[in-house]
Amino acid sequence: MSNLLQAVLSGLALGGIYALVALGFSITHTTTRTLNFGQGEFLVAGSFVAVGTLLLLAGKGYTGVLAPEDVSFGRYALALIVSLVVLGLLGVLLYFTAVRPFFGTSGMAWVMSTIGFGIILQNTALGLWGAGSVAMPSPLGDQVIRVAGAGIRPQEILVLGVTAVVMLALDHVLRRTKIGKAVRAVAANPQAAALMGINVGAIVVLAFVVSSSLAGLAGLLIAPITTASVFMGLAIALKAFSAAIVGGLTNPRGCIAGGFLLGVIEAGVGLWRAELREITVFMLIIGVLVIKPEGLFGQKPFEKV
Amino acid sequence: MHSKSFISRRRQLLVAAAATSFAFTAAAQAQDIKIGFNADQSGTAAAELGLAARHGFELAIDDVNKAGGVLGRKLVAVVRDDTGAPPKSIQNMTELIDSEKVAAVIGPTNSGNALAWLHIPQQKKIPVIVPVATATDITRRYVAEPQNYIFRISMVDREQVALLLAYAVKSSKNRKIAFIADSTGFGTQGVKDATEVLALHGLQPVAVEKFGPKDTDMTSQLAKIRDAGADTVLIYGLADGNAHTLRSMEKINYLPTAIGTWGNMSTVLLNTAGKKLAEHLVFATSTAEDSHARATELAGRVRARYPQLVTFVAAAQAYDSVLLLASAIRQAGSADGEKVAAALEAGSGEVQGIIKRYNKPFSKTQHEGLGVDDFHLGKWKDGKVVAFSDAITKSITPADLKR
Repeated sequence: MSNLLQAVLSGLALGGIYALVALGFSITHTTTRTLNFGQGEFLVAGSFVAVGTLLLLAGKGYTGVLAPEDVSFGRYALALIVSLVVLGLLGVLLYFTAVRPFFGTSGMAWVMSTIGFGIILQNTALGLWGAGSVAMPSPLGDQVIRVAGAGIRPQEILVLGVTAVVMLALDHVLRRTKIGKAVRAVAANPQAAALMGINVGAIVVLAFVVSSSLAGLAGLLIAPITTASVFMGLAIALKAFSAAIVGGLTNPRGCIAGGFLLGVIEAGVGLWRAELREITVFMLIIGVLVIKPEGLFGQKPFEKV
Repeated sequence: MHSKSFISRRRQLLVAAAATSFAFTAAAQAQDIKIGFNADQSGTAAAELGLAARHGFELAIDDVNKAGGVLGRKLVAVVRDDTGAPPKSIQNMTELIDSEKVAAVIGPTNSGNALAWLHIPQQKKIPVIVPVATATDITRRYVAEPQNYIFRISMVDREQVALLLAYAVKSSKNRKIAFIADSTGFGTQGVKDATEVLALHGLQPVAVEKFGPKDTDMTSQLAKIRDAGADTVLIYGLADGNAHTLRSMEKINYLPTAIGTWGNMSTVLLNTAGKKLAEHLVFATSTAEDSHARATELAGRVRARYPQLVTFVAAAQAYDSVLLLASAIRQAGSADGEKVAAALEAGSGEVQGIIKRYNKPFSKTQHEGLGVDDFHLGKWKDGKVVAFSDAITKSITPADLKR
């Protein structure tokens, strides 16, 4: 029983990260029908910008080893702000250099250009911080909290909390505010939205800023759990993309649910046969695509004639 | 100053030109003997091993030169960084041998890199002493050739497993031992070695679990190991995977006796698992800074040049590699690769190294300078590697070291 609870807790923490990145996929997909395939490298950038910021705040230069006392809550919050701003700007840069030039062209050039943008980011981080993994202490300490025989670390609770808050906030903004309605209008029909006086260009840039910042946030949150590594992006991004497909790329709530679902399934399968985790996850995705191509919580696309 | 060196260089050239027709060796003897060093000093997690090894290598060359050099000639270090990348490592090897004309090479750190370029020194007849990389196969690949040019002064995977399991079998109270290993070739081979060695003790692992090299949560696998009743667990992965395994153990409040390979002597383990948790692990090493006075002295000298030193053992192994090489060149009477390799195998009197006193460490069929008898157990203590001994380690006899 405690083993199962342990798997669920571990799965939820990792699932929260998948959910945040999956949300980022969803946002650009609904507004521009494009995806940032470099999303994983944006996550890497997010965690290393945070590592660099924390190191600079501790007066150790931008590379080095972070000691637990170097990471106070205040500094972590500051690192969060720096990460979000830098990643937001990177999102703008990505949009104007790697997405917009290919808008309206029928090919898949944006797939290659977003992957390329990600590789440039990754190699920049590689040059600055090297290939080794960098440990980032959690601002909440590292003491294991016991829940009915299972253990959870404070940072994992933080991941769950932040994911929940971001999900609720985004849900509220999208459904209840004017700007959210504008985003949804652009997603539904950009031409009509433009005719109604919505600045489509600005909304699309905003979508890339939010998407990139979410990846950055995920990077900052996961670094204390997994350590920051230049190569961690691809695996997380692939799982997150799978989560988005399973949950429904068009439905932000579905992406969140997909993320948590994937995390828990992964940990659950690990209880049985650890080496079959990936196989199970990707078989699940193929299964969902066959039975419900729009995702478990996605809306069926329909065209009114 | 200028004109003098010009004249002397011209004279050298003249001498060389005059000599070429009848004696290549005469010209060569007038020069220094170049020794190459090719290892990762910046790229991967193994870089700190490479840096430590490099300083041990350079200090040994200084010491040999201070004692009058070899055959009246000076040893000169030619250092290359392969950044842990096989293509770069291959390129360095070719450059060291073809352009720099080194007499021998010390390196590398990463087993994969060694396996990528072993054929180059083997074909060009340049002896290599491996001071760090541990894959069992490295010295065995050319064992059937008339002359195998690959030697090693380092840990060997199979040999350290023998020591670790001798300790495990004695320390386990219920004789239930489990393995958890990463799913790479390294971990898979480790599980195979460990299963065979444990069988020699008449036991079978009660559980064998795997984790991906990038996994960070091993709680599910460890829960199964706990349910199998194991009180001793061999963790067979690289430092970061091992650190996450320890963290997962802490998370599920299951802290059995944990043993692992020497790869745990890495700041990655220390920083990721934290100083306190890292101290839980027992691992194999050939020497530690506090093993004896010779080691402490060399560690002090290395630390003066490289203050971040953690993996002293790599420095000691590289230092000893150079001493053995110098002794073999002396014995061979020339730096010619073929003769040096033969001299390494023949042995050349006793050589006092850092790790031990070597007496004919190599032979035609044995290219491992160190074996399980030379290995000890170590532990982290306050961020440093120290020798570990307790009642159980003291009771281990040569008969326990089955391999």
